[in-house]
Amino acid sequence: MYKSVTIQRGKAGWGGPLTITPTDTCNKILCVTGGGIHPVAQKIAEMTGGVPVDGFSTGAPDEEVMVAVVDCGGTARCGVYPKKKIFTVNLTAVGKSGPLAQYITESIYVSDVKENCITFADEETAAAAAAKAQMQAAEPKTKTQARKELAAMNAGKKKNIVTRIGIGVGAVVNKFYQAGRETIDMVIKNILPFMAFVSMILGIISASGIGNVIAATLSPLASTLPGMIGISIVCALPFISPVLGPGAVIAQVVGSLLGVEIGLGHIPPQYALPALFAINAQVGADFVPVGLSLGEAEPETIELGVPAVLYSRLITGPAAVLIAYAFSMGLYA
Amino acid sequence: MEIIAALANGFIELFKAGAATFISWVTGIIPLVVVLMTAVSSIIKLIGEDRVYSVAQTATKYTITRYTIVPILAVIFLANPMCYTFGRFVEEKYKPAFYDSTVSFVHPVTGLFPHANGGELFVYMGIATGISNLGLPLGDLAVRYFLVGIVVILLRGVVTEKIYAAMKK
Repeated sequence: MYKSVTIQRGKAGWGGPLTITPTDTCNKILCVTGGGIHPVAQKIAEMTGGVPVDGFSTGAPDEEVMVAVVDCGGTARCGVYPKKKIFTVNLTAVGKSGPLAQYITESIYVSDVKENCITFADEETAAAAAAKAQMQAAEPKTKTQARKELAAMNAGKKKNIVTRIGIGVGAVVNKFYQAGRETIDMVIKNILPFMAFVSMILGIISASGIGNVIAATLSPLASTLPGMIGISIVCALPFISPVLGPGAVIAQVVGSLLGVEIGLGHIPPQYALPALFAINAQVGADFVPVGLSLGEAEPETIELGVPAVLYSRLITGPAAVLIAYAFSMGLYA
Repeated sequence: MEIIAALANGFIELFKAGAATFISWVTGIIPLVVVLMTAVSSIIKLIGEDRVYSVAQTATKYTITRYTIVPILAVIFLANPMCYTFGRFVEEKYKPAFYDSTVSFVHPVTGLFPHANGGELFVYMGIATGISNLGLPLGDLAVRYFLVGIVVILLRGVVTEKIYAAMKK
């Protein structure tokens, strides 16, 4: 017996409330939170009667997924599922952000969700949600219909050359403008917030004297080949790499710290190249199931693909440092 | 009173260093990134994603191109995270290897094409800032990062493909 639930946003959250109703064909709660079933996903499953699925070990076809539970820091996962029109519950307090921000809407996404945010939906809201879903399904149809009608109306007229040139130029200029708009969006939504957060941390580190500690520990490690191989192996350990991954935040912070040390002359500049690979051996390790499902992989492929990628990194992580070290010969010499 | 004032000054001092870093990033990094990103994404919009599909599809047949040309095209044309959708052109047994290869390219690409992963620029930019502070040119580092990236994604593709095949047995 399935039941509808309403999921409210948490105190610092955004979006929602979502009312979700499982059906016989669409009843999976896909939990993509670094392995295992998160308590929030478990609770949704218990209340609705749906089936919780660990996205890291099994996965599920998109059309069976009723709701996805993610712990995305704001880059990718929080947008991927809304783009697929799957209800998304983010455990982290993240609003509309990341490159897919345009797909994140209040009707499909809710964040900072705790277990106490989930309540049974009463009949009325469930009915309203069903009606709304129907409306949403109907809406794009009428839009395409309208477009078809418009196209039919225009079909009769043959455009002269001036109009066609005008339309062509307009289309090109529009693409440039759109590119500019996307770039500024990216700067405001991703680049500037990151700069604010890291410069605050770097400032405190350098003003408080912690910087000297880091210079004394990190710099010697990052200015020898064995030290860097060591860093890459730690980053690539299969139980650490998925934790270090989200949003590449850790790699970015460490990159900025190393940049400071390189700027101060504590680390020789030619080590920049191998360091770029050493601090990033974990790249995308948190994202394997999502990335694979974006590539339309079968659930069985995801199940074995996740450990395959994680184990592979233990070999290719240090190997990448060695290759980069070889390629750094003559750099800034 | 003086103690409180001294404390307040010390507190503000703590953040002045951060403010200086912030302003140097905003004026030093953002203008170039904005112009470069706009230029590259306009060119990509003009070429259109559809046109690279057929190239990508043919290139998935051979091991070497599957883990070099396809991920590079995917990352440059679709950017992180939509680049992984190119996985649909790849045979099922190669998908994990293809993902590993593609995801490993989303940072090496940022030195030359920052639009492809604008949300995670600082892996490269953080280290690159140090190089600029020394007064050294960045071009060499960006190009080498890109090239080593290609070698590394090929290696990751091949190794992960073998591991996945072994696990599947």
